[in-house]
Amino acid sequence: MTKYLASNDTWEIGGKRLNSRLLMGSALYPSPANMEDAIKISGSQIVTVSLRRQAAGEGGGNQFWDIIKSFGIEVLPNTAGSHSAKEAITTAQMAREVFGTNWVKLEVIGDQYNLQPDPFETVKAAEVLIKEGFEVFPYTTDDLVVAKRLADVGCKIIMPWGSMIGSGKGLMNPDNLIAIRKQFPDLQLVVDAGIGKPSHATQAMELGYDGVLLNSAIALAQDPVKMADAFRVAVEAGRLGYEAGTMKEREFASPSTPTIGTPFWHQFN
Amino acid sequence: MNIGIAGVGLVGRVLALNLLQQGHTLTLFDEDTAYGDKAAGMTAAGMLAVFAELESAESVIFDHGNRSISLWPALLEQIGISDAYQQKGSIITAHPQDYKELDHFIETLKSKVPEASEIKLLDRRELTQLEPDLEQHAKAFFIPQEGQVDAQRFMKASSDYLLSHSNVTWHQNIKVDTVRSGEIAYVGKEDTFDWVFDARGLGAQKDVENLRGVRGEVFWLDAPEVNITRPTRMLHPRYKIYIVPRPNNRYIIGATEIESEDKSPMSVRSSLELLSAVYSMHSGFAEARIVNMVTNCRPTLRDNLPNIEHSTKMTRINGLYRHGYLLAPAVVEEALNKGMYK
Repeated sequence: MTKYLASNDTWEIGGKRLNSRLLMGSALYPSPANMEDAIKISGSQIVTVSLRRQAAGEGGGNQFWDIIKSFGIEVLPNTAGSHSAKEAITTAQMAREVFGTNWVKLEVIGDQYNLQPDPFETVKAAEVLIKEGFEVFPYTTDDLVVAKRLADVGCKIIMPWGSMIGSGKGLMNPDNLIAIRKQFPDLQLVVDAGIGKPSHATQAMELGYDGVLLNSAIALAQDPVKMADAFRVAVEAGRLGYEAGTMKEREFASPSTPTIGTPFWHQFN
Repeated sequence: MNIGIAGVGLVGRVLALNLLQQGHTLTLFDEDTAYGDKAAGMTAAGMLAVFAELESAESVIFDHGNRSISLWPALLEQIGISDAYQQKGSIITAHPQDYKELDHFIETLKSKVPEASEIKLLDRRELTQLEPDLEQHAKAFFIPQEGQVDAQRFMKASSDYLLSHSNVTWHQNIKVDTVRSGEIAYVGKEDTFDWVFDARGLGAQKDVENLRGVRGEVFWLDAPEVNITRPTRMLHPRYKIYIVPRPNNRYIIGATEIESEDKSPMSVRSSLELLSAVYSMHSGFAEARIVNMVTNCRPTLRDNLPNIEHSTKMTRINGLYRHGYLLAPAVVEEALNKGMYK
């Protein structure tokens, strides 16, 4: 009998064929060495990296970026710290130079405290960046109409949040995520932000999402490397569960075998 | 012995003070002047935060930190500034909406060292007894073992002491090219010694692999309306901000942590973050005067931990990162015991 190891599963995102459906951030780790171990054990093949704050001034950022490049996996530069389409576009262009990739995680922030994305500026920036040949990974809320607008301007990937960045609250509104999945069966959908524990990642994958992107849940764990391994298994479990097809929920707890001594036709009377 | 030290930052100075006590003759090299401000040790707040730094560091920091705390008083006495040492505890607090950060903080510490379970959570009344000016905060941790060294006074007094010491020759404004077994090479010359130390921090990038700079930005504020007497940290989901009191109502506010080797002046974003954080902590900071805005880079290795490396007639010490004052005396002690004194 074959074991349905999720590692045999491949998927395509942004023109690349990958095994791992776990995308990782590169902030908040105790050290770059610890991050490297966590990423290795997670099996992740995409790591996001921020530029905006690191790139200003003289000779900024290079050492840390070199460390990220040395991991030998796909680098997804992000525009974190941008508050307008214009800032995000400039950051994306800089990222293309620095990392030699047309991938960009588009992140335009609309609220300074909770880092909620600004959907209006995100759509505006996505339209410009797609015309400039970028593969845009837009970070957005779980609003279906915003997802539609992003698809309209040509996004092939949409990354709705589970909940607010760094909140660890998990999937705040699974119904909204399901609605986006139903509306866009052919786009690559990744739950980005809000994941706090492995079960949240499993849940996102069970909804039929193509991947999950997270940072704090691993980086802020007391043992980030062990947590990275936990997320590897969780994402694989969720994906396998989705592919296997979950049973439908029922309105009552139904024993699958009759209780001894009770004729089965009497059980629910 | 005749000893050469390349780099007279914090580590170079602690080394020199130790070696002079053993009667050695020293030649010091630094690309800066004796009273210059290029060294990261000049920018530091000098906190001896043996617990608080553990939140984002490994537990080896704890052992080295405790050892350093016991070594600092003698070092400061040696250069005549015993009063630059303070150990009356530190405060960790957060805004009410960020109280979860306090939980995360203490849980992380407890997972690293069992001693953390003794850290006490104060309510408003207990906190106000310790620090009346922090009365607006309803919850805070108090860590009695923590303290601080007045970093800027240490740097100045150690310069005075070393410059006037008859066993010390200090080559200022000399950029060292390389340090190797028993040799320090600079501007086409090579001096030989019985033992050499490489304590150049980021200046050693050519000789030390995987060494990077991590940018930090700090303010110096004069705030006559504020009377906070202990190092105080404010936890926030994205920033870690501390207020370190100095004499005469001066406060060092820091520090950002940005993965960049850029030493250019402070950014507007960083200044907004730091200043709005301190203002929200105590409204008396509104009328504080900005005395200085400083940027520097911390010499850091891949694991963010210090490294000591020995070879024939040579010891390199590097990577003290954001823990310079917390670790230097213990790291230097270990470097000497396992190297030159072995």
